[in-house]
Amino acid sequence: MYKLYIAKNISSHDLLNKVLLELNIKDEIIYNAYKKPYLKNNKIYFNISHCDNYTVLVIAKKEVGIDIERITMRKNVLDRVCTKNERKLIKTAEDFTKMWVKKESYVKYLGVGCVYGLKNVDTLKHNFIIKKFKNYYIAIYGV
Amino acid sequence: MKEEIISLIAQTLEISKERINENTNLISDLKLESLDIVDLVAAFEKKYKIEILDKDIKELQTVKDIIKYIEEKHV
Repeated sequence: MYKLYIAKNISSHDLLNKVLLELNIKDEIIYNAYKKPYLKNNKIYFNISHCDNYTVLVIAKKEVGIDIERITMRKNVLDRVCTKNERKLIKTAEDFTKMWVKKESYVKYLGVGCVYGLKNVDTLKHNFIIKKFKNYYIAIYGV
Repeated sequence: MKEEIISLIAQTLEISKERINENTNLISDLKLESLDIVDLVAAFEKKYKIEILDKDIKELQTVKDIIKYIEEKHV
C-alpha cells in the first residue's frame, strides 16, 4: 500500500509539510547517515524526488524509494550503469528512462546514496511500480 | 587542463562555458541532478581514460574538485 503525490512548482519540503498536514501527522524529520529523511516518531515512510518543475512524494507503511525523470536517452552512461542484460534491452529513450528511474528508486529505497553503484542494481531482478506521467517516468520500489 | 575540463562540462551538459569557473558547484550553481552528474562522470572517464569510483562521486562537488581528482588520476 502506498500513496503517490505529484505536484508542480512546489519544493520537496513544502509538499511534504502539506501532505503531513493533510494526514494529520505532526512529527520531526530526521536523517540517516546518507541524508535519507524519516519521520522520527511515526512508522510511516516517505521518499521524494523532483525533476524540472515536478515533485513526487510517496508515502508507505514500509521503506520506500521513488524517482522521477523526464524521458531522455543518455548513451554515454549506458555502460557505466547497466548490467549486460539490461544493456541489451535498452533501445529507446523510454527504455532508458524506465531503467534509470528503477535504479534510482532502488538506491533511494536503500538510503545509501550514490556510494552504492547503479550498476550493482539489477533492475531485472526486482519488481518496481512504474508510472508514466506526461513526458516523465516515475518508479517506486519497496511497496 | 582547467579550460579543457570546463569545455567538456559545457559540451556534455549543453550549457555555455561562461556559466562555469573553478568555483562552480555542480549542484547548487548548475542545478545538476544525478543523471547529469553520472553523464559528466562518464564523459570524464572516456576522455581521460580513468575510472571514477562511485564512492568518489559525492566528493566531486565543484569544478576545482573535478580538476584536482582528474589531475591525480590521469597520468
